[in-house]
Amino acid sequence: MAAVIAWILFGMGVLGLVLRRDLVIKLLALGLVNSSAILFLVSLGDRPGAVSPIEVPGLQAPLADPLPQALVLSAIVVNFAILALALVFVMILVERYHTTDSIRIEQEVEKEKDEEEEMPCR
Amino acid sequence: MRQSRRLTLIAALIVVGFIGTIAWTYFSDRPQPLETPLYLARPVEETGAINRVTGIYLNYRLLDTLLEVLVFSVAILGIQHYLARSKAVRLPRLMESEVVRTAVSLLSPLAFLLSLFFVLFGHLSPGGGFASGVIAASGLLYVGIALGMKEAEQRLSPKRLGRVEKGVLLLLIAYVLFPVLLGRTPLTDLLPRGTPGHLLSGGSILIYNLLIASKVLIGAWIAIVSFAQHRGEL
Amino acid sequence: MTAQWILLGFLPIVAGIALLQSRRLSALIGMGLFSFLLAAAYLLMHAPDVAITEATIGAALVTAIYVLAIRRTGRLIVVADEVPGLMAREGDRITGLEYEILAGFAREIGLDLTVRFVPMRRIHWLLSHGEADLGAGGLISSAPPTGVRATPPHLETGLFSYSAAEVSDENEETAHPAHPDYEGYFVDLADHGRHQMLPSVVHSLDLARVLALSRRGIDLEGLTRRDGTFAYGFLVSENRQEIARDYANYLQRLRSSGRLDAMIRRYVV
Repeated sequence: MAAVIAWILFGMGVLGLVLRRDLVIKLLALGLVNSSAILFLVSLGDRPGAVSPIEVPGLQAPLADPLPQALVLSAIVVNFAILALALVFVMILVERYHTTDSIRIEQEVEKEKDEEEEMPCR
Repeated sequence: MRQSRRLTLIAALIVVGFIGTIAWTYFSDRPQPLETPLYLARPVEETGAINRVTGIYLNYRLLDTLLEVLVFSVAILGIQHYLARSKAVRLPRLMESEVVRTAVSLLSPLAFLLSLFFVLFGHLSPGGGFASGVIAASGLLYVGIALGMKEAEQRLSPKRLGRVEKGVLLLLIAYVLFPVLLGRTPLTDLLPRGTPGHLLSGGSILIYNLLIASKVLIGAWIAIVSFAQHRGEL
Repeated sequence: MTAQWILLGFLPIVAGIALLQSRRLSALIGMGLFSFLLAAAYLLMHAPDVAITEATIGAALVTAIYVLAIRRTGRLIVVADEVPGLMAREGDRITGLEYEILAGFAREIGLDLTVRFVPMRRIHWLLSHGEADLGAGGLISSAPPTGVRATPPHLETGLFSYSAAEVSDENEETAHPAHPDYEGYFVDLADHGRHQMLPSVVHSLDLARVLALSRRGIDLEGLTRRDGTFAYGFLVSENRQEIARDYANYLQRLRSSGRLDAMIRRYVV
């Protein structure tokens, strides 16, 4: 169940990443893709009847697998690093082109390229 | 119009392909995990931490965590570098409303207390260095809102703190490399394991948590200040 | 167990709603909510460490940093005095020539346009204190005060002089009971006379306001047309030079393509 939800979230994230034109919302969709991967890994470690992987003396119930959880902790922090750094790049783009619309930024870049080509080479 | 349809097609293909692959492996015969893998056999005796997750990421897989700290530092350096290059819009700084400032100054001690609990009890209960550092940084953010961001910035200048941050990172690297001098493998935990469940147990995990928490605290504060500077006011 | 299913079922719904928002801030708050729900789901899936990390980093820190960045790149805040024909409320919509120009400009630079109606004497303060980006609403800005810059003019107009004493002492009392709608104008203009806030519009009434007042049947005796040419422009905060530059370019294109003339014909003539 949790795995299926993770796949749905992954699909939504990729669709948002490709189809939304606003760069900030694209970044949020990228974060969603990352979250879906984390959810998938955490769901792998969970099993029916398990309890949190913290040792309590005298407890017989099986523990959830701690390995995916430990790996995923890094993924969350790295996700933050990526999103923050990408946001800085978006801010630099906005400063130059005054828009967060990816298609319009592409058009502006093309225009600049054309202008450079028209300039006589020295 | 045509371009957007092509993009939709590509996106759909990516999604279907990826999910198909994952679902196929998920539902086909996976190799069953060992009955008791190494990290599940006697983790508490080996790491001394009753929180098994902490035991794994600060003992068995410490190298991963060190690289993660490194990625975090590089990201903060990148934020500082690129935001310093962009021309800041220097808007005059205005205060938040009285209600927000009062509420926030009541919340900040709670944030610091929670952060302290998480860092000291990281090997006994959920928490750990990363969460603790970020909670303390949000406590600082509350102080920044209450005092005005400029005032907070002057008292806790990111420039001076940046040096402390690099010092902490070097200290962490020196600490994990220290066993080499004694002829052991790097990343070996030299401290005794202690009685599992006590505060002073788990070998070096408490020290790692403290170092990581201070590192993340300063890093997150620098990121917040950098973004706030380039925004004018909070 | 049921709680876990319900929570997991909510996740795609919240994420979908968040990603479909057109405003960046709404999408961001939606994703923050999604992160909190996700943290709760992790907790129910027996991963408390992951839950705490997700709640602090994914929900709090990422959202805080994005809010800080978005407030800078997100909106174009316009403060305006209400003038029929240029910038005025009609029901819950705003219409007028200046509004249409600014809406096109905001679309051009990819910002959400927010118009706040304020008394004219507040516009200068709000602009020079960074509370707003642009001032509008029938401003004749040939000699703008310190802290703000004038944009190139977009419409020519006339300026009328009046005696300040007459308006503040007599007209105010006689005009008020009959025309409560236009109380603002007279109080406002009288205020300019007293406080010298916007030197270029003190003791004067511009053409759009004169037309609006005369349409209401207010006695406009004592007004004399001033010599010289005057034109409406916008005021830009001195800290937002890039907006002033972009606006000048935008107006130039609007004028050369003839769209500006079409707009003026639609609203004014």
